[in-house]
Amino acid sequence: MNRMLTLSAAALMMTSAAAFADTVTVVTSFPRDLTDPFKAAFETAYPGTTLEVVSRNTNAAVSHLQETRGANTIDLMWASAPDAFEVLKEEGLLAKVDVQFEGIPDAIGGYPVHDPDGTYFGFAASGYGIMYNTRYVQANDLPVAQEWEDLKRAEYNGHVAMSSPSRSGTTHLTVETVLQGEGWDQGWATWKWISGNMNTVTERSFGVPDAVNSGATGFGIVIDFFGLASKASGFPVELVYPSVTAIVPANIGIIENAPNQEGARQFVEFLLSPEGQQVLLNPAIMRLPVNPEAYANAPEGFPNPFSEEFAPGAIEFDVDKSGVRYNLVNSLFDVLVTYRLDDLRAAVAAVQKAEAAHAETGNEEAAALIAEARALVEAMPITEEQSLDPSFTQVFTISRAEPDTEVVGRQAEVEQSWDSFAVENYRKAKELADQAAALN
Amino acid sequence: MTQTKAGIRIEDLHLSFGDTKVLEGIDMVIEPGEFFAFLGPSGSGKSTLLRAIAGFGPTPRGRILIGDRDIAKLPPWKRNVGMVFQSYALWPHMSVRRNVAFGLEERRMPAREIGPRVERALETVGLLHLADRMPAQLSGGQQQRVALARTIAIEPQVLLLDEPLSNLDAALRVQMRRELLALQRKLGLTTIFVTHDQEEANTTSDRMAVLDKGVIQQIGTPQQLYDQPANAFVAGFLGTANILKGAMQGPDFVTAAGQRLPVAAPLGDANRIVLRPQNIRISGSGGEIAGRVAHREFLGSQIRYLVETPDGQIIVDTLHSSGQPPYDEGATVSLSIDSQSAPLLAD
Amino acid sequence: MPDTSQTASRGFTLFPRLSGAAVAGILIAIFLMAFLILPVAQVIYVAFLDARTGAFTLQNFQDFFSTTLFRESFVNSFYVSAMSVVVATLIALPLAYITTRFNFAGTAAIQALGIIPLIMPPFVGAVAMSLLFGRNGSINLLLNQYFGFRIPFMEGLNGVILVQSIHYFPFILINLSASLRNIDRSMEEAAQNLGSHGVRMFRRIVFPLAMPGYLAGAALVFIKVFDDLGTPLLLNVNNMLAPQAYLRITGVGINDPMGYVISFILVAFSVFSLWASFLFMRGKDYATVQKGGGGLSRRDLKPSEKWLAWGVIVLILAMVLSPHIGLLLLAFGTIWSFSPLPDGFTVQHFGTIFTQSSQYVWNTIVYAGSAALIDVVLGTAIAYIVIRTKVAGRKWLDYMATAALAVPGVVLGIGYLRMFHGIQLPFGLGQMSSFWGIIIVALAVRRLPYALRACMAALQQVSLSLEEAAESLGASRASTIRRIVVPLMTGGILAGFVTSFATAAVELSATIMLVGRSSDAPLAYGIYLYMQSPAGRGPGAALGILAVVIVALGTYLSQRIIERERARQTMTGQQH
Repeated sequence: MNRMLTLSAAALMMTSAAAFADTVTVVTSFPRDLTDPFKAAFETAYPGTTLEVVSRNTNAAVSHLQETRGANTIDLMWASAPDAFEVLKEEGLLAKVDVQFEGIPDAIGGYPVHDPDGTYFGFAASGYGIMYNTRYVQANDLPVAQEWEDLKRAEYNGHVAMSSPSRSGTTHLTVETVLQGEGWDQGWATWKWISGNMNTVTERSFGVPDAVNSGATGFGIVIDFFGLASKASGFPVELVYPSVTAIVPANIGIIENAPNQEGARQFVEFLLSPEGQQVLLNPAIMRLPVNPEAYANAPEGFPNPFSEEFAPGAIEFDVDKSGVRYNLVNSLFDVLVTYRLDDLRAAVAAVQKAEAAHAETGNEEAAALIAEARALVEAMPITEEQSLDPSFTQVFTISRAEPDTEVVGRQAEVEQSWDSFAVENYRKAKELADQAAALN
Repeated sequence: MTQTKAGIRIEDLHLSFGDTKVLEGIDMVIEPGEFFAFLGPSGSGKSTLLRAIAGFGPTPRGRILIGDRDIAKLPPWKRNVGMVFQSYALWPHMSVRRNVAFGLEERRMPAREIGPRVERALETVGLLHLADRMPAQLSGGQQQRVALARTIAIEPQVLLLDEPLSNLDAALRVQMRRELLALQRKLGLTTIFVTHDQEEANTTSDRMAVLDKGVIQQIGTPQQLYDQPANAFVAGFLGTANILKGAMQGPDFVTAAGQRLPVAAPLGDANRIVLRPQNIRISGSGGEIAGRVAHREFLGSQIRYLVETPDGQIIVDTLHSSGQPPYDEGATVSLSIDSQSAPLLAD
Repeated sequence: MPDTSQTASRGFTLFPRLSGAAVAGILIAIFLMAFLILPVAQVIYVAFLDARTGAFTLQNFQDFFSTTLFRESFVNSFYVSAMSVVVATLIALPLAYITTRFNFAGTAAIQALGIIPLIMPPFVGAVAMSLLFGRNGSINLLLNQYFGFRIPFMEGLNGVILVQSIHYFPFILINLSASLRNIDRSMEEAAQNLGSHGVRMFRRIVFPLAMPGYLAGAALVFIKVFDDLGTPLLLNVNNMLAPQAYLRITGVGINDPMGYVISFILVAFSVFSLWASFLFMRGKDYATVQKGGGGLSRRDLKPSEKWLAWGVIVLILAMVLSPHIGLLLLAFGTIWSFSPLPDGFTVQHFGTIFTQSSQYVWNTIVYAGSAALIDVVLGTAIAYIVIRTKVAGRKWLDYMATAALAVPGVVLGIGYLRMFHGIQLPFGLGQMSSFWGIIIVALAVRRLPYALRACMAALQQVSLSLEEAAESLGASRASTIRRIVVPLMTGGILAGFVTSFATAAVELSATIMLVGRSSDAPLAYGIYLYMQSPAGRGPGAALGILAVVIVALGTYLSQRIIERERARQTMTGQQH
């Protein structure tokens, strides 16, 4: 009896071990619209191999990998947000595997395609753009915003949405891109004026295309494939690329101690191969291949980030700068904008109203009050130097790169001081703008 | 307490639960200030009739008048009929005082009048000192009194008591029975008392109605019902009765087995005779009915004989003073009956 | 986990003789320790650590109270929870009263429909609600077109209150209905007899007597709303405690201790609310003397009253079922964008899910069914131990089980991964943390408070004398429980089963961390997958409808059983 049990248990283990060798397990945040075509193509190219897809959102996937590092069962991590891969890499959760590919440039739109250390690889690119609902725009008689700057205008008040950079790695890149492109103070000013026009800052990145698709909001700042895929699904939406955009690679990396490292390597190479790149052109996927050759077969009107006319203002993205202040920028945005959206909106609306009232009066007293109010809205609690000072930025991280760095204060303490700063400034700005509006 | 004494008149009342007829053709008059009992076995419809007077249960067909007012179609809260429930139904979330005050508050009585009336009602039942207890802190008898106080506080025209003593122990039951009666006499309230216990009904009520299968069998004073039962059910339900079948032959009643019994008031179509055990004399010979002692029971003040006769077993009770009972089991005896106390039945 | 059992049993080893109840209590305590307390402690102990040195500190709590945003969040959370209880009560009261006090044709159907709002699959509910009530939802588009104004149903805290009340009022409905059914009819008759009726009688007699059930439901709503993060997040309201905690725990690479401080405060405050409700209820033992003996007074309605009742019910149902109406439109609609109704209708989405998603349905039934079964068994046992025995520390079983309400699913999920990862199960079942059985345990732990409250309320209304009667007839403790207590609690136990099952069937936050393979995934996970892409909105909604239909069917059947059980008991009562 005992022996039979042992035997059958052994048999069970052997079958599962055999099944293991042919299965590549990938954890991904991508929807099945994207994973299904790749699964089919890969399994055709490598008969006998099965791609097991485990879907989790990026946060859950990262937490899962962190928590299960002792007995890892996952071969690959496959997701958009590069920062998630940075976290995994820092914690030694990504394996350095020699992956063979060719024809893919090192950088796209100023952003490096692959990890310079070779732990993760970009297989597709996405740009950031403005997605809008055509019915909404028509019903509200709004012009189409083409540039980030356009969204600052008073006529868009209450018609814009975006997600919080702390919730969406890609939104973070957009925020950081503008900060780098326009400079710290001017960049933040841009974000605050745009945010003043928002009706919502969503907590899920998919919340933005959802809101635009359903017509809850008119304009959304989104990663392009949301817009392109929504349009392909039949929603009355369009996507425009502003001239300054962040090009973000979507990545794949092999997990340290992968049960099937060989299979994992095969899948990465397949993704980066010309056949793999072709799959990206599927209308339900709509991501930009990183191999320029792939665009030869692209349908009419498919955006090509390698072409001259695409996003001429793309900046040289400083990855190090972004990395140092990653958490700080997220926290700053949440404290100044996300959590105080109502105060900010009130202040911005008051300024817009005052400006409209005095557009032609030439009242100097009012102009002075308005300028003061604008300055208060734009004022920042910290300078760019502080934002890059490790003793300050590392207040916002727990696992520090250098444990002996002296940090100044605790996150809660710092955030409280920023919060009082913002609330007080927005309140005063509104008061001044209201005063200005009341002047004749 | 001033009370407008009101009588109750029930006319041709019918009531059914779905297809089951529960009350049929109830007609009765209860005089003002009368203590009236509904007596019957369980399922006889006595509680249903009481609840119909209070306004609970399915709407009956027929009329229920209190004084001159027909209340049959009124909702319960407009009837001014006080009811004490079998389970007392004290509200556990209210103190004794608030329970008693409830009905007065519902009548929108000014607060300054409520206080004294509550105290008077509690005093009447002797529980003023427990006014601020919660019901769960009271004994069964105390709960009973609170339920009573709660009902009399509203000074109803009629007081309905639904098996009020059934949840009390035997000693307390006798005591409460007397208290109830004393209270009723003091207040002069027209009162209906539902019970399945004939002793309770006998000792308290002025008159009573015996119900069976939803029909009133007989109405009268306890003594009338005992002495002159209208039918075999009443005879058997009130006390012990030997009922012998037979028919009238001239002035005598002849039993099925051919025994000729003299009767005081002959009834032409009588077919049964009711013999109370204590009204039969037992002797060695000379009686109307011959038999043999089958069994003997010692009951303290009485000795009960079960006598085997041609008309079946007859129960006979004799007073016991002291010494050995005269007849042993198996003895041949003769029974004679008192023609004055042998009512005849015809049905 | 040898140390687990030691910790749990230490408090009890002082007892020289262990009764059956004590042994059961110890086993339950071990279960809760292993699957709730320790996993959560593994996550939130960070709240007591200095972010810099890792040493023990209370600095983080001081920071919490000196931060304006957190203080505001606390006030907002409290306000929203309290108002949600008020609005949920307004919705639940008429439904409960009409269906338990009158002979009403649609009682079983209304009671079943009344629980459906609880079965709102994540993601789709908010999408459906904003399509109907949002700034540019159907209603506001029509209002704006014809009358030139909009009503901000879904804006800010009021939006959260609206959605939460609609979502959670069934907790009050279920518990209140069970309580109302158990009130002896003479209680109300006595009041009517003394001249009271209608609303006044309800307020003074019926409602106070139904208080145990009502409070059980209201406490659930309060705590649930206080701790819920899904709704505020989906409505993008973030100045409340639960979303603040979530945002600070789950960000990639962020490890803000404040998130754990807030989690700790959520758990502590929930336990406190519960304790406060216990305190309030102390000594209010409203067990009716003879359950079933007095029967239930159900009145026939006059025709005019019947119309009024139907009017009220239809109005309330239309409101509380609006998310499902929206979901239905979404599932059968083609494109729905900035218009009162979808552009066209199709059954294609259902075709999509039937070819792709049948394993989700089966998994859901197995997971939610097993979890609910575990819940009612544990719930009945805990209720009995807490209410009827003197086992030392019994109240803590209740507190522990109920604390699960306050644990965000994601915290529990992470805790499980930390605790159970690397534990290899025998028989080739693989790792404990990726074994599908652990999903059932997670669901059972998360839904235990629902079943527990229902069982507690049911047991509170079973009079002790009925048990004593059985014991006096020679029944042992165990057989008294089996033959007397449990049958009398049937209604409450079934209500608990239904609530646990229905809500477990659409649970996502903990399961998403624990699903090891897509073949092990439940429905809610499937919906989540669909709802992550624009093309998936229709199929996701269709899958949501499927989930609702499955759970509603289960609920309806249970309701029928409850009604039949009640009728049987009443009949038995009348015969005696």
